[in-house]
Amino acid sequence: MRMMHTKLHDFYQKIIDAGKKIRPNTEVTFRGLESFQTGKLPSLRVGRVENEIVEITQDPGVEKVEVIIIPRNTESFHSVIIKGIQKDGTCKKAILENMHISSPGEDYYLHDVEEIDDRRTSL
Amino acid sequence: MKLAYKLVPKGAGNGVVPLSLAFIDKKDIDSVGVSYREACQMVANNHKEDAISINVIDCDAITVTSDGIIADGAVVAFASADRGKINKDFGYMTVSEIPYSEKTIAEEPHMKQWNTPFYRGRRLHRGPNAEDRKPLESHNENMTMTGRMTNNNTGSEMMNVVDMTEILVPFFGQTEIIKDGNLLLGLAGPVISVGIGMIVRERQGRIFGWNYGAGKTAHNSGEFAKTVKSDYPALAADKKVLAEYILRALDINMVPGRDIGCSPAVLSLAKAYGKPIAFDNIEESAWVELESVGFSREKLEAPSKVMSRDEIIANADEIIPGMEDGIKYKASELVEKRFAEK
Repeated sequence: MRMMHTKLHDFYQKIIDAGKKIRPNTEVTFRGLESFQTGKLPSLRVGRVENEIVEITQDPGVEKVEVIIIPRNTESFHSVIIKGIQKDGTCKKAILENMHISSPGEDYYLHDVEEIDDRRTSL
Repeated sequence: MKLAYKLVPKGAGNGVVPLSLAFIDKKDIDSVGVSYREACQMVANNHKEDAISINVIDCDAITVTSDGIIADGAVVAFASADRGKINKDFGYMTVSEIPYSEKTIAEEPHMKQWNTPFYRGRRLHRGPNAEDRKPLESHNENMTMTGRMTNNNTGSEMMNVVDMTEILVPFFGQTEIIKDGNLLLGLAGPVISVGIGMIVRERQGRIFGWNYGAGKTAHNSGEFAKTVKSDYPALAADKKVLAEYILRALDINMVPGRDIGCSPAVLSLAKAYGKPIAFDNIEESAWVELESVGFSREKLEAPSKVMSRDEIIANADEIIPGMEDGIKYKASELVEKRFAEK
């Protein structure tokens, strides 16, 4: 399974390493998955992202790489987990609720970009 | 050829309209010979600095309001554009025709209006079907989105999700914009906020589906229903227009709370017109919301003067409640005619 999937925290490190591969002084930032405490990612896709980060930094003018990860569907559907925590740290009761969130898609982040090479799979 | 369209610019109505809204008449698209999507992109190209909603209106078709009233015209496609772009996956949606069937008439009592001389034989478009909605999932709303702009509920609620400005554009207002008719612009207020929840059950509805029928509330939020959309700007038709269409339904004995929704507008007109209301079919949760804006069963059952059709139309502003600080406009006072090139 280690070959097929990448741990979330390994992914973060791979983003940083890829961004600094050509020029170690390159600043690398990433955001969008802050609410994920853990998770597995498909290793082949992680590898593609690593290669693409290296590709972006091949332009000698690039000093900083921003990696932003957002839901592909602009109206995402979430579960809200409401837990009542006791003094001893245990939880006797939780309530689950739905929450839709409509948040800007990729267009919002790309409006001032000259060239967009969209390599995503079609929906 | 140039494509004509109507623009309600951001800031219209002394700043009450918070977003730019475009409306294209299907006939104008046909005369240019482009697809609906191409037409929306042509309009988007004219607004490269702005976020804008775009609705395509077919004036020869019909649609249904959330409270079950058939209207002339229909939204047959809608889009969201930002800085000239329409998102390829989520920025545009068509609204396919719903073919006439006796099953629809039998299952959805409000659709008996389709068989009246006003509407018989006309194409029906309500909400998008499953194919129209792709790649949206079943839990997603009938909404397009590009960048900052969302165009929700099949083109009747527009919102900028970054600066959080919103506007309601009930369907009758949209046809008045296309026809250069008469508009009412103001804040939705608590009565319209409650009324929006008093819906009918229909398959492939503009906003809701099969879960809630006449006499129920889709908001189901008690006294909070009157606040949910209360502060929204709303761009609606003159109340005389609304009265005419609701009276058409009442004229064929559509009963509020049974066949059509029990919104304050429908209830007010039914009472003024001396038409029955299905009081016992209106659920307690709906009564709580109606009573929160002054519509109790006791008041509705109290004897009152029955008015003629003409009297009701003439006095529609007084009879139909809702809209705060509403100002009447000729559409030409708010709407600009623009042209887009291919």
